[in-house]
Amino acid sequence: MAALDIDGLVKRFGTGGDEIVAVDDVDVSIDDGDFLVLVGPSGCGKSTTLRCIAGLEEVTEGDIRLDGESIVGRKPMDRDIAMVFQNYALYPHMTARENMSFGLKMTSDLSKGEIEEIVEDTARMMGIEDLLEKKPRELSGGQQQRVALGRAIVRDPAVFLMDEPLSNLDAKLRTTMRTELQNLQQKLETTTVYVTHDQTEAMTMGDRIAILNGGKLQQIGTPLECYHQPTNQFVAGFIGAPSMNFLEVTREGTRLDHAEFSYRLSEATAERIDSETTELVLGIRPEDIELVDGEEPNAFRATVDVTEPMGDSTHVSLSIGDQQCTATVDGDVIVSPGEELWLTFPEDRIHLFDAESGVAVKNREASLTGSEMAL
Amino acid sequence: MATETSRTRHYATVARSRVSRLGSAVQEHPLTWLLPAAIFLCVFLLYPLVEAFRMSFTNMSLIEPDYSYVGLDTFSRVFNSSDFWSMTRITVIFVGVSVVLQIGLGMILALAIDYGVRRGLYGSIVTRISVLSAWVIPGIVIGILWKIMLIETRYGVINYIIVRLGGDVVSFLSDGQMALLSTIMANTWRGTAFSMIMLYAGLQQVPEYLQDAARIDGASPLQRFRHITIPLLMPVLFINLVLITIYTVNTFDMVLALTGGGPGRATEVLALFMYFEAFNRFNLGTAAAIAVVMLLVNVVMTVIYIKYLLGEEEF
Repeated sequence: MAALDIDGLVKRFGTGGDEIVAVDDVDVSIDDGDFLVLVGPSGCGKSTTLRCIAGLEEVTEGDIRLDGESIVGRKPMDRDIAMVFQNYALYPHMTARENMSFGLKMTSDLSKGEIEEIVEDTARMMGIEDLLEKKPRELSGGQQQRVALGRAIVRDPAVFLMDEPLSNLDAKLRTTMRTELQNLQQKLETTTVYVTHDQTEAMTMGDRIAILNGGKLQQIGTPLECYHQPTNQFVAGFIGAPSMNFLEVTREGTRLDHAEFSYRLSEATAERIDSETTELVLGIRPEDIELVDGEEPNAFRATVDVTEPMGDSTHVSLSIGDQQCTATVDGDVIVSPGEELWLTFPEDRIHLFDAESGVAVKNREASLTGSEMAL
Repeated sequence: MATETSRTRHYATVARSRVSRLGSAVQEHPLTWLLPAAIFLCVFLLYPLVEAFRMSFTNMSLIEPDYSYVGLDTFSRVFNSSDFWSMTRITVIFVGVSVVLQIGLGMILALAIDYGVRRGLYGSIVTRISVLSAWVIPGIVIGILWKIMLIETRYGVINYIIVRLGGDVVSFLSDGQMALLSTIMANTWRGTAFSMIMLYAGLQQVPEYLQDAARIDGASPLQRFRHITIPLLMPVLFINLVLITIYTVNTFDMVLALTGGGPGRATEVLALFMYFEAFNRFNLGTAAAIAVVMLLVNVVMTVIYIKYLLGEEEF
């Protein structure tokens, strides 16, 4: 177990005109025993960051410290880390037992008996003791993933690195494994860096999440912080499913004008807008949109295009003029395509972003708990 | 009249549909698709093979039109001849050393090129093309090429270099042991390219993520090679081993051009022995018996390789 600090990490590939900046000045600190999720779309630099921590890629600039000690320049074997790969990366010619004991054989002076004992203990903990004599091709995806996790655990490393370990599993197994992984991490209390492109995984698993885009760190915080208080439009759109609705508006004093409606802010809210710019983007989460009977202030009409009943709730795809927007309503509210609805955006729930820079100039009013805010 | 026309039309339709049914039956039958290959194999492979077997049981000669079947006499003569065993010994040395060198050097080249390609280093394509060019040159040309290189005067390419470096002229082709070594060298020069192609292709099948996993697991480059690369290369290594062993056992043209089996009979490998038996000493029956023995050796080797090197398991 150890604290991990990434300081000004830059990773460039290629030279001259072909140069690609995969990771651009990323700073992240992970406390001892913390579970940090690096999340972002494909090509955002999350896997490269993880490979830099593992020592599989050389760092171009910046520093990576484990318990205050720089590990840049060290070989992967000298970093006290273990990694779980997206495609499990089990050695196909070895049995599960040989796969799990390989790292210990390579790096430790333990006797054969001691290695066997550790492997068997770990296998028991992972519930794979019956699979130890099988080769990877005889195992299902979930079993292979358990063996891959077991292989990382037997090493008892200071840090676990996980590169999209659940993305090759089917949806149901992914959910189960998600919980198992969390339980395991809490039990082992090992500092973990977990990479995923799936925001649901990020939200549900991480103590904290770091959102990357184009190699740059967009925001780092607890899942709810990132959800409720996004620092920019990218984070707001990336975190949450269905994603936040964005509507371009022009600010005229306390009024926000959209082609289809006009939204009047209270004086207090208008004062809270942290910008003088008039070109803004109004953001509202689907579940924050309210259906009203038309008499409400700031209410406007929208046409239902498609409904997606989920049981407990229904996602309603709506047209506001030419613009598409999604609202999540209670499962017992029945709406049909073509129907006209009156909507309103509660003032305390709206987000405003600078249309040019994307920076959040007003977030929804916080409803986080004290402990959540303290993080 | 009208009835007759419609009847004719009806017959035409029936005939057309019958022909089309027949066509599709022919098309869908596996025999149609197997037949060309089967005929080709029978005419060019099976017939000569059967003929060689038949000839091996005769006392056929190139200068005597008559021959008779002598049962296993030809084989017993071959096995009782000291020449055969001496040629076998030369062949075993020639094949054994060539195969080891070809696999070893092929592996080194394949690893170097693989490393170069992965690192984006210049020159890996040039290396591949130059090594490959050795493979596409016919054996007879290689024999002549090496004969020129190994000329035993100070004007021979290699001897010139040796003399310039302060050494003496080496009898590459007139000394028995050196001639065998030179033959092995030339054969290795040619065969390494094939090994390299096979092993390089095999290396592309070893996923990079397994190497990454092994690096994380703390394996040194040598340990990764020993525990990850080699086991995953085993199927390719096996095929390579079988093929180059068979090619080398059957090598004939290059040796003929380079040493002609000499000095004396120091480099007369079995294939050459067989050729001389047929076309110098005109004993077609004996030559056929040697061919059959060589065929059996090749078959037995393949079976042994399959049994012991690959086992019954594939991963």
